[in-house]
Amino acid sequence: MGGSSPCASCKLLRRRCTKDCIFAPYFPPDDPHKFAMVHKVFGASNVSKMLQELPIHQRGDAVSSLVYEANARMRDPVYGCVGAISFLQNEVSQLQMQLAVAQAEILCIQMQQEPALPTQMDPPPANEKSFLFSSSNLNNLHQYLSFASSSNVIQDPLKIESLWT
Amino acid sequence: MACTRCAACKYLRRKCPSDCIFSPYFPANNPQRFASVHRIYGASNIGKMLQQLHVHLRAEAADTLHYEAQCRIQDPVYGCVRIITQLHQQIHNAQSQLAKTQAEIVFFTAQAHEELQEAASTFNTLLPQQSDFGQSFYGSSTPPFY
Repeated sequence: MGGSSPCASCKLLRRRCTKDCIFAPYFPPDDPHKFAMVHKVFGASNVSKMLQELPIHQRGDAVSSLVYEANARMRDPVYGCVGAISFLQNEVSQLQMQLAVAQAEILCIQMQQEPALPTQMDPPPANEKSFLFSSSNLNNLHQYLSFASSSNVIQDPLKIESLWT
Repeated sequence: MACTRCAACKYLRRKCPSDCIFSPYFPANNPQRFASVHRIYGASNIGKMLQQLHVHLRAEAADTLHYEAQCRIQDPVYGCVRIITQLHQQIHNAQSQLAKTQAEIVFFTAQAHEELQEAASTFNTLLPQQSDFGQSFYGSSTPPFY
């Protein structure tokens, strides 16, 4: 019976990997870079303390977020994750502004259509909402929704990495 | 005259040298600031990170390290990554809503255009023949109505 390979942390720290090693479940030997990053930013001792203070079922997520933060800090030693937060907050503000403009445009269109032209096809609406969202309008709206979703949607320049396995 | 040790050196119980890397960013009047970064990163790592940066960038780095450390203390599982996840979700929701609103604009604009064309063609059919009308007033010139 051969011994199992030491985890990435114990390999880096050059120590024996015990069977109750706190790092072993989260830092497998096939990905040494993951622990190296976390160790460089937080330190093995601090990571060990942090994990020990958490219930077992939360440690996986904690490790994932620590790896994410360490990676962000190594890519941007000055701002780390705060740089990403700042960028994303800016994105949210811009989108909210665009949304406000688009909603104002809808209101203008609705106001222009407000004196409803008599048509032979549709009966007069009971109220404004039912006119806008009547079943015939919704059926026609589908084709426009599929067109709009494939274009004019702002692409997030930050590739959203999968944090959680 | 006694020199006050910076918060880091006070915490680490050591002499604060004149070129202490921590002292500009961890003043003595805010011990909690260093305590939180030390808890998450450790003094050695903080010192190394600051040393690797240009002097004019160290203040920002210390601030962001403190911010992230505070987030991690408040949320030991996700830290500031929770904020990032929430922002991504907000962006996704705003993009969906924007796409929907833009689709509605296209739809209602097209609908208004169709109704206008319908009204125009209805109006044109009610007009007398162009040749009859035009002949009597304008001869063979351009029709008066488009």
